Amino acid sequence: MRLLNHCTALSLLVCFTFFQSCKKDKNDPAVEEPSKTGSLKLSFENMFGTEALSFGKNYVNLNGDTVKISKLNYYISNIVVTKDDNSTFTESNSYHLVKHSASGTGIITLNEVPTGAYKSIKFMLGVDSARNVSGAQSGDLDPVVAADMFWTWSSGYVFFKLEGTSPKSADVNKALEYHIGGHGGVNKAQRSFDLSFNGTTANVSSSTTPHLHLKVDVNQVFTAPVALDLSVDYRVLSPGGRSKKIADNYSDLISFKSLDN
Amino acid sequence: MRFKLHIAFLLTAFTLISCTVDPTVSPVVNTNELSEIVPESWPQPVYNFANNKISAEKFTLGRALFYEPMLSIDNTISCGSCHQRGAAFANAGHRVSHGVTKDGVELEGIRNAPGLFNLTWHPYFMHDGGINHIEVQPLGPITNPIEMAETMPHVIAKLQASAKYKTLFKNAFDSDEITGERMLKALAQFMGLMYSYNSKYDYVKRGKSKFTEPEKKGYDLFLTNCNACHAEPLFSDFKFRSNGLPARAGVVDHGHEIISRDTLDRNKFKTPSLRNLEATAPYMHNGCFETLEECLDHYTNGIDALANPDPLLRNRLVLNADEKRFIIAFLNTLNDREFINNKRFDEEK
Repeated sequence: MRLLNHCTALSLLVCFTFFQSCKKDKNDPAVEEPSKTGSLKLSFENMFGTEALSFGKNYVNLNGDTVKISKLNYYISNIVVTKDDNSTFTESNSYHLVKHSASGTGIITLNEVPTGAYKSIKFMLGVDSARNVSGAQSGDLDPVVAADMFWTWSSGYVFFKLEGTSPKSADVNKALEYHIGGHGGVNKAQRSFDLSFNGTTANVSSSTTPHLHLKVDVNQVFTAPVALDLSVDYRVLSPGGRSKKIADNYSDLISFKSLDN
Repeated sequence: MRFKLHIAFLLTAFTLISCTVDPTVSPVVNTNELSEIVPESWPQPVYNFANNKISAEKFTLGRALFYEPMLSIDNTISCGSCHQRGAAFANAGHRVSHGVTKDGVELEGIRNAPGLFNLTWHPYFMHDGGINHIEVQPLGPITNPIEMAETMPHVIAKLQASAKYKTLFKNAFDSDEITGERMLKALAQFMGLMYSYNSKYDYVKRGKSKFTEPEKKGYDLFLTNCNACHAEPLFSDFKFRSNGLPARAGVVDHGHEIISRDTLDRNKFKTPSLRNLEATAPYMHNGCFETLEECLDHYTNGIDALANPDPLLRNRLVLNADEKRFIIAFLNTLNDREFINNKRFDEEK
């Protein structure tokens, strides 16, 4: 009899679960526990030198060349934030496509971050090799979202895409086109960033969401370690040595800007 | 036991009540027929469905997508247009295939559509090996401007506007959200389940049949002359090699070099399987030969020294007319009529 009761209870539980699973909204405030986590907001602020990046505007890069930007897309992945006690929080399924638009900012919100004071952030510009060789992916790696950022004839994600024009380009339309990727081997184009918050901490709690501002300076792409000669390197559309050269240049693309608690 | 049944019944009943299923879509194929197959003594496949659980509903969706002309920009070309079941999913009678029509001109490719079977053993796809996974393979032809000339956002928008696909996706994924990932998983499942392992050769290997004398002689000659590249039991080593085909007038195709950017890979293409040759003519990556006799004559007399031929072919094969006939007799034991005639892979009418 007790067994029967258990089974009836289990049946009801199963039924209940099924009803729940078909509901659109899975959040049930009644069962919410006092939160030990919070959120951290990241802004990838696209700039050209000290100015906010605007499409269609003429900029002079550090080599003295005039450039105009019309497209800027890149992947940020594998985000890890480190607390002042050196414990870390790793975002799961951490793949974000940032597309520059009129708002000029790529906002990524990390959720379910354990409460605490965070002093630094690590991430990758690009997509790790595993996700380039494991078939159809979801989220920002779904081939619909990534339609503009995936080579379909030689599988692999474009990690960084910068398009525009420069009078110095040897192209008939003066085009600049950098489609940078390559997930393995000597010419791999992912670059890792490890940025401290300059001695300050992002204090994550259930009630406050700190806002980290990161500077993404497109000017860096043209300069170091190799000053790009735009009459030669105006179009790089596939992985290889030339792609790696651009990737080396964007290894200092992103830096800490400021932090609001 | 009764209690378990009781729970199972309740579970089923409540699922049916709480998540209604559109009854207008015809019933799916029998689940019992659908499973991963690794024939005895075959190597482990590269793709094992671990992240793409096999179900009749997903197979049914994959089949609908495979025959779906909405995958092309002008809604005229489906995967099945160039990969036909009766041709072991090659393009019957076509040296190269036709793509969509642009500006009144039917576009034409430069390579022969390969047969599709035993794809889960392929470490990469396309003749040049450019695509690294069965799930992302369809992105190649869908977005190629001379094949289907589409974009994934547009294809998905078309599918999302279709009541039929809303239902098919819901059946397959328990939610009617139509994403690129889901579409590609379903297609991979349909194509990955195209197994061909029931040719006479396979029956001989299982001890259920016997080669005739010419077939046996041909098999021995095959092992000496062909198996180094067309390795049993898949009849491909999946390596990139040039078989010394002379370049076709007006066609530049450097094969695997396009992908590897290594001039040593010039004119190299993935070794094709020799299964189902009765259905897949014309032969070679560019469809230049109509018959198996022509193919063998190429290996004995036609290797072009300027086409970067594989070291194994530089001295050409030495085979007399009888030996060629025996090899062809053996090759004909690799035809799998059970596969070629399997209507499970046909478009649902």
